[in-house]
Amino acid sequence: MTAIALAGLVHVYPEGTRALDGVDLEIPAGQRLAIIGQNGSGKTTLVRHLNGLLRPTEGRVLLDGRDIRSLRVAHLARQVGLVFQNPDRQIFAGRVRAEVAFGPRNMGVRGAELDRVVGDALTAVGLAGQADTNPYDLGYSRRKLLALASILAMRTPVVVLDEPTTGQDARGVARVQAIVAALTAEGRTVIAISHDMEFVAEQFPRVVVMRDGRIVDDGPPGAVFAPERVGLLASTGLVPPPAARIGARLGLGATPTEHALLAALRTHRR
Amino acid sequence: MSEADVAFLQRLAPPTPSSYHRLNPFTKALAAVAESIAAFVIGGYVGPLAIFGLAVLPAAAMAGVLRRLVRVSVVLTLPIAISVVLISVFTRAGSTVLFTVGPFDATVEGVDFAGQVLVRLITLSTAIGLFGLTTEPRAFVFDLERRGLSPQLAFAATATLEAIPAMLERAKVIQAAQRARGLDTEGRIADRLRGVLPLVGPVVLSSLTEVEERTLALEVRAFGRRGRRHLLWTMPEATWEAPLRWVLLAVLVVIVAARLTGAWPAIP
Ligand SMILES: Nc1ncnc2c1ncn2[C@@H]1O[C@H](COP(=O)(O)OP(=O)(O)O)[C@@H](O)[C@H]1O
Ligand SMILES: [Mg+2]
Repeated sequence: MTAIALAGLVHVYPEGTRALDGVDLEIPAGQRLAIIGQNGSGKTTLVRHLNGLLRPTEGRVLLDGRDIRSLRVAHLARQVGLVFQNPDRQIFAGRVRAEVAFGPRNMGVRGAELDRVVGDALTAVGLAGQADTNPYDLGYSRRKLLALASILAMRTPVVVLDEPTTGQDARGVARVQAIVAALTAEGRTVIAISHDMEFVAEQFPRVVVMRDGRIVDDGPPGAVFAPERVGLLASTGLVPPPAARIGARLGLGATPTEHALLAALRTHRR
Repeated sequence: MSEADVAFLQRLAPPTPSSYHRLNPFTKALAAVAESIAAFVIGGYVGPLAIFGLAVLPAAAMAGVLRRLVRVSVVLTLPIAISVVLISVFTRAGSTVLFTVGPFDATVEGVDFAGQVLVRLITLSTAIGLFGLTTEPRAFVFDLERRGLSPQLAFAATATLEAIPAMLERAKVIQAAQRARGLDTEGRIADRLRGVLPLVGPVVLSSLTEVEERTLALEVRAFGRRGRRHLLWTMPEATWEAPLRWVLLAVLVVIVAARLTGAWPAIP
């Protein structure tokens, strides 16, 4: 399993944007963590450092205590699977099956074992019937699920999802939730960037809030979405999930999830 | 004209560069071709070096691209130059042996031959490089179309030229996606070469899709109709450029004829 640590991470893009401005973050192996923040706050830039696609301008990225500076992306890909925000920047094969098989094949998986991991990944995202389809004949939400499947098939200890629920209907979101739960059950680390506060509050025990290339808050949903911190959250252009807003209006304290809200209502009535 | 059109026209004739940039593309193309052919048919050292030193270099200095030109042509010709030199120095038969490396003798004749090829190569690559560095490819194609090149051919040429940056960008994106899934393209040369293969299919595929879309977009605007069409833009061309081109062409014809007939003796 893989523990992640970022120390003093700064990233300046060639044309001068300072997308990360000193990020310190530790993620123990097996944790499930959500990163939230406005568009342009540096979330994507941050996660692209985890597999070496971007390299720090300053600071370090450590996997299991080891600086990854000198490790190649292809090597890091065995530990950190990154599902890109935009599936069209990830998908390149002419067939769904080939797309999903690409990663595990590079990791040396062959034959019946390869068929099995590809089949499992496609089943998990509900694309098992589309194995021979051209990815570009799938709609956007399904291409996003295909991009997810192509990372799942690599069975990496860390899985990073960049806005996995964007463009998904309720069924798609439910699929993503089930996948996240299954990954955690296997002890794997899941890091998800999301704008879907409900998804974040329901599924992630730890939430990291970013603003202008820095981490401005970090804690369980109950704390990050608590009424006392609404101002901080608003400064990042975000609003808490509906359940938290209702709880705050009713003076029930921190109720990040529907479940917490109902429980608080019950206690309150008594 | 819309804002986009204005920006487009400005891109065709950028305001900053020199008067050499502002020459008509066809004139610059003809100069590059004439210089290259002349260097080859004259041969020896003096001829090609004179063309290089008296025509190409001053023009490049005037255009302000001297340093870039040197860099570009060195990068482009170095692999060819090295192999030509090695092969001709060591494999050309000759009577006077200069030095020996293993089983190979380097002869005076071999070194001389390599030297002659080298000066021609330098003149050729800088002449063509200068054209490339000072000419917007699409302006060249437009100008040819104005001179009667078929619009279909002009379109094919422009589409190819315009597809190149998009293709390079697409290749970069795909390569990042493939590396992120464990394809090693950063290691030894062998790894890098192996990493190119999985790129080719997807890049070509997506470029074809793009060209197809563009063709459709043109079809619906009656691109296929017959007859002349108007260009909404006039190519820069000074009045003396056409005569200059004829002079260039005439000089070239004379040189080629003189060399072929042996009327002009070989100069060292
Ligand atoms: N490839 C890039 N080149 C230059 N600037 C970029 C690039 N990618 C992102 N940026 C800039 O870096 C900042 C952070 O972007 P990003 O990490 O994509 O944010 P987020 O994922 O939180 O929306 C933004 O200002 C964005 O414009
Ligand atoms: Mg992003």
